[in-house]
Amino acid sequence: MFERFSPGARAVVTGAVTRAERLGAPTVTEEHLLLALLDQEDTRGATALRALGLTGPRRASLEAALAEARRRGGLSKADTDALAGLGIDVTEIVARVEETHGPGALTDDRPPTSRRSGRRPFTREAKKVLEGSLRVCLGRREKTIGDEHLLLALTARPGVVSEALADHGVTYTAVEGVLV
Amino acid sequence: MSDATDLAARAGDRDPRVGLRAVSALRRLLEQLEAVQVRSARAQGWSWQEIAAELGVSRQAVHKKHGRH
Repeated sequence: MFERFSPGARAVVTGAVTRAERLGAPTVTEEHLLLALLDQEDTRGATALRALGLTGPRRASLEAALAEARRRGGLSKADTDALAGLGIDVTEIVARVEETHGPGALTDDRPPTSRRSGRRPFTREAKKVLEGSLRVCLGRREKTIGDEHLLLALTARPGVVSEALADHGVTYTAVEGVLV
Repeated sequence: MSDATDLAARAGDRDPRVGLRAVSALRRLLEQLEAVQVRSARAQGWSWQEIAAELGVSRQAVHKKHGRH
């Protein structure tokens, strides 16, 4: 599949690994793919994100939403709201756990096991995004998988990343609208 | 605001999606909480047997789940 990836899409995949390393994450997730996408400059994906206003404070707000979800052990804002409906205050739980176990205690940031000697695997969800990008590409009758296909695939998969994106106006339809 | 947020905001909502979403979120929260507590117990020198007893599961189950780190 990777032979069909454009240089931009490859840069996002390798950038995601770098992002995971920098955050000390044991695995490469959808979040790292998105952060790597945001790091690109002249690719179709990066251009689409810029066209949707994800620069400066909006981009910072998106990154903050992702960091916040990470701190809540991977629960999105919608998850938190759903739990609030049951009377469960996730913010309070996070605060208490951090009080006892230190900041970021609920973040899954354990180092990779020594057996793997630092090699970070992609999570099942992140792999599905890569597979999804191929499907999106084929669906659009395009030959090369670009980072815009990765972006479309990210918006299409339910979870923290697509919700944070949607909250910042980046949905599948919105991205399609700015890709010409 | 995302769709799910809208859904949750509707007071007294009986839409199963809201309840199911909460269950799924709770399950993930529970997994994270368990990981934190097990790590903390191990750091304080607890044996897998002792941790398993408190969690109400077998020693093998808890070791298989958390033993890699």
